[in-house]
Amino acid sequence: MAMRELVTGAANCDPSASSNPLGALANALVGSSSAKQERLKEIPTTTPAVEGQFFAQPEDHLRAIPGSESDHSLLPANAQGSEFIRRFHAAERGAFEGAWDDIQRANVPSVPHDVRVGINPQLQPTLDGPPQRVLSGLLHSFVDSSRGGLPFRPAQLPLLGLSEGDKRCIRDRSTIMARHFFADKNEDFINAQVNALLHSLDIDSDVRGKGPLPGRFRELEDYWNESQGMMKPGPHVGDAWAAEFNQHRGEQSGPDAWVNSFEQQHGANGWASEFDQQYSQLATVDQMGGVNVPNLAAMEQTRMLAHTLAQNEDPKFQNSKFLQFLSKMSRGELIIDDNQVKPAPGDWASEFQQQYTAGPSWADEYLHRGPDQWANEFAAERETDGALDYQWANEFSKLHVNDWADEFGKQVAEGSLVDNTSEDWANAYNEFWNEQKQQSDGSSGVYVFSDMNPYVGHPNPLKEGQDLFRRGLLSEAILALEAEVLKNPDNAEGWRLLGIAHAENDDDQQAIAAMMRAQEADPTNLEVLLSLGVSHTNELEQAAALRYLYAWLRHHPKYGTLASPDMPESLYHADVARLFNDAAQMSPEDADVHIVLGVLYNLSREYDRAIASFQTALQLKPNDYSLWNKLGATQANSVQSADAILAYQKALDLKPNYVRAWANMGISYANQGMYEDSIRYYVRALSMNPKADNAWQYLRISLSSASRQDMLNACDSRNLDVLQKEFPL
Amino acid sequence: MPIFKTPFNGYSVKFSPFYEDRIAVATAQNFGILGNGRIHVLALPPSPGAPFPEIAAFDTADGVYDLAWSESHDSLLVAAVADGSVKLYDSSLPAASNPLRSLQEHTREVQSVDYNPTRRDSFLSAAWDDTIKLWTVDRPASVRTFKEHAYCVYAAAWNPRHADVFASASGDCTVRVWDVREPGSTMIIPAHEFEILSLDWNKYDDCVLATASVDKSIRVWDVRSYRAPVAVLNGHGYAVRKVRFSPHRGSLMASCSYDMTVCLWDYMVEDSLVGRYDHHTEFAVGVDMSVLVEGLLASTGWDELVYVWQHGTDPRAP
Repeated sequence: MAMRELVTGAANCDPSASSNPLGALANALVGSSSAKQERLKEIPTTTPAVEGQFFAQPEDHLRAIPGSESDHSLLPANAQGSEFIRRFHAAERGAFEGAWDDIQRANVPSVPHDVRVGINPQLQPTLDGPPQRVLSGLLHSFVDSSRGGLPFRPAQLPLLGLSEGDKRCIRDRSTIMARHFFADKNEDFINAQVNALLHSLDIDSDVRGKGPLPGRFRELEDYWNESQGMMKPGPHVGDAWAAEFNQHRGEQSGPDAWVNSFEQQHGANGWASEFDQQYSQLATVDQMGGVNVPNLAAMEQTRMLAHTLAQNEDPKFQNSKFLQFLSKMSRGELIIDDNQVKPAPGDWASEFQQQYTAGPSWADEYLHRGPDQWANEFAAERETDGALDYQWANEFSKLHVNDWADEFGKQVAEGSLVDNTSEDWANAYNEFWNEQKQQSDGSSGVYVFSDMNPYVGHPNPLKEGQDLFRRGLLSEAILALEAEVLKNPDNAEGWRLLGIAHAENDDDQQAIAAMMRAQEADPTNLEVLLSLGVSHTNELEQAAALRYLYAWLRHHPKYGTLASPDMPESLYHADVARLFNDAAQMSPEDADVHIVLGVLYNLSREYDRAIASFQTALQLKPNDYSLWNKLGATQANSVQSADAILAYQKALDLKPNYVRAWANMGISYANQGMYEDSIRYYVRALSMNPKADNAWQYLRISLSSASRQDMLNACDSRNLDVLQKEFPL
Repeated sequence: MPIFKTPFNGYSVKFSPFYEDRIAVATAQNFGILGNGRIHVLALPPSPGAPFPEIAAFDTADGVYDLAWSESHDSLLVAAVADGSVKLYDSSLPAASNPLRSLQEHTREVQSVDYNPTRRDSFLSAAWDDTIKLWTVDRPASVRTFKEHAYCVYAAAWNPRHADVFASASGDCTVRVWDVREPGSTMIIPAHEFEILSLDWNKYDDCVLATASVDKSIRVWDVRSYRAPVAVLNGHGYAVRKVRFSPHRGSLMASCSYDMTVCLWDYMVEDSLVGRYDHHTEFAVGVDMSVLVEGLLASTGWDELVYVWQHGTDPRAP
């Protein structure tokens, strides 16, 4: 294959045409993505507040704000508010205060509550008194404990008289903040820190301030929690227990009364037996995950300790006043300083303390090692595997999903429950799993073969594929070439042509996957390397693109000397661009070098240079349709959508079945706001390759932008007949 | 350059878009965990070393987590308050006449506000109740509520060019891009594996945004191809709390972190970390870059100090 056709397949440099799902917004974005620098943020100037500038006429405004119709129905502005605004409009700038005062005076007898809210904020008592100073110090040391991940060990605090609202604030906010501070710790550590804080403040340590830990697997967790909820009378065993406990604590004034009433209800050993009972239920839950609670706890402790010790602390943190607070707190100095009256602990109190310390830790353990543990493990496993979902998938399949799901179902059934909970859950899980799998297909570089390939068994599928490709029947050519590489998996040429066909058919993911197989078969094939470089550029994957372009240079018989023989650890754009500029000086008549330079400048978004490079290349190779497409895509990226259309037209004149150019044409029209026109081009592209997913997405955007909602159904059901009839080209 | 001591812990600092020598600072007592809040409006001192003249100060019953200057009126401010309210202040009026409005709709702490720079008549609030709300200065209730995130929303930022487009960053590890003309979000970017605390749009390329995460990294994304980030900037030692694009240079960004530093980045060059300031002695949580004076930076942190300095100089220099 001649060098001339080197880059045939990797035609598109328009990042906006890369295959990712764009939402409806993209029109606004992609549409003018081109106008990169034309309009900077206008700097507002100091203008006097003339009428209507600060508070515009409310009625106009309500209509003017887009999106308002999507939410609340319009609320009537409250009487005083609109009065204020009206007067404000009437008022000159200096009269603003007067207007406000007037309204205030006029309404003094009956000030509507909602307008006055916040005008005189009810400040909280400033936290300056001795008990407050203690609290302040405690919060300091809590925040401080985040440095180096020291376990937070507050000393016993005197009673502070915090309100329920205060307690809730402390609990919720410290939980959420702790998750930010201790990002590299696990949820258990975070909860331990927060619990320590709450405990010392005598705040209910039900630390689910804001839901379970956030993560990718929330859906699963929610399902899990739901199914858990169905299994137990309350939302959580721990909760139910704690609630009951609290209730008793609240109702009964004296310790004896509490004990008595409890014994009345549950017998002398009632508490213990109830605890056992619930614990055994928990154990069931935990068995399911194959997790042993005590062991895990011990392991966790060890790991945490090790982690803390291993942590190399920044000297700056050591000097932090927080850290000093922390050490002071642990020595109890702060308490002595403030010397508050401590509540005299009676017998009951200490007994209670004993049980209490046992209680919450048990509850916590359940809460965070029970259902969440499973999810955590699941998430952790995923994290370690990173993007390589395949490995993860394999490991997971070793766990025998079905067996596990069955067991889950069985256990749920044994718990005499509505059976379909587990089924729902399992189904949802499967759905989610499939989704994950699909997503991973996109980026994993695994080639996905078509089902039902009529060319399998064909005597010479490669020749057939080449013929079909030449005739521009890309989808057919792809099938034939797939048959070829199924037959001869080591045929670099087959894979390469397959990759090119996919790229021309506007599917960069498949193109990359095929090209990677081609490269495996023939690691130094220049055409393959260049194609991979271009396809990765289309996907905006700079590092990968640079790697392939550099490899191209290194394996090139003429320019190989320019590149150092071993691949540098990390490639920088500037270095690679310099090498290619050198190459261009060596042989200015080599169009390929100018093409690579154009691609490189696309990568760094230097579109003017990219355009210049492609134009130079086109002078050398005026009949290269993919080059015209590249020029068009670059022009589209740098504001020149009208020029881009001319370039695409040129490409289509040379190769009428060039799906990508048809789609790009549509994008350029959409960029100029000519949505009806863009629709025609998308439909044309799709009629040639109905599998071009991104073209479907662009089409959908253009349909909504052109207010052709009537055709959205046809688009969603991919009904090309209807669309072609409606939008002939 | 000047240093201002706030009585409470600093949470956010913003340069006025109208006056080159004016800033506003949001503060909260006890790191915003419990206590009052205060908003300071400050003029930069005429000479370095002189004290900051305080133009106005407003007290609130709960911590102030963020604020935003109006883009349409030179004295108007929007504040995000931890009690779930969004409050409008006019810094030219006495404290007794403020706030002009208290918009109480969020059910949890409001973490950030952003004023629309193109329409200039509306603003967004992002809150821990998992929602973003759209407001205008002239309405007593929100125009719209955006509820799709599955966890706290920590930031929402308007696109600098498209008046109806904004992005939001959440603890659910995603960024969502929204067009207020559409019923739902139009794009979901799974930007980090950990919570995302901040985001900002490139002021020169309306398709590029940066996200800051608890995973210590800043990532730059192109919304046209979000499968992989355009750049990953590592260098902070703890969660990155805020990221802001420069109003003057397309690829320049400022960030601040729980590692107590303020960093400057150029995501287009090889060594992306182009500046590091170590002046705070506690978590650095607020940073801003002046629109009117190129290279002028401001930062605040939990050491109760506000610094304003020119890039390249020592913030602590007198």
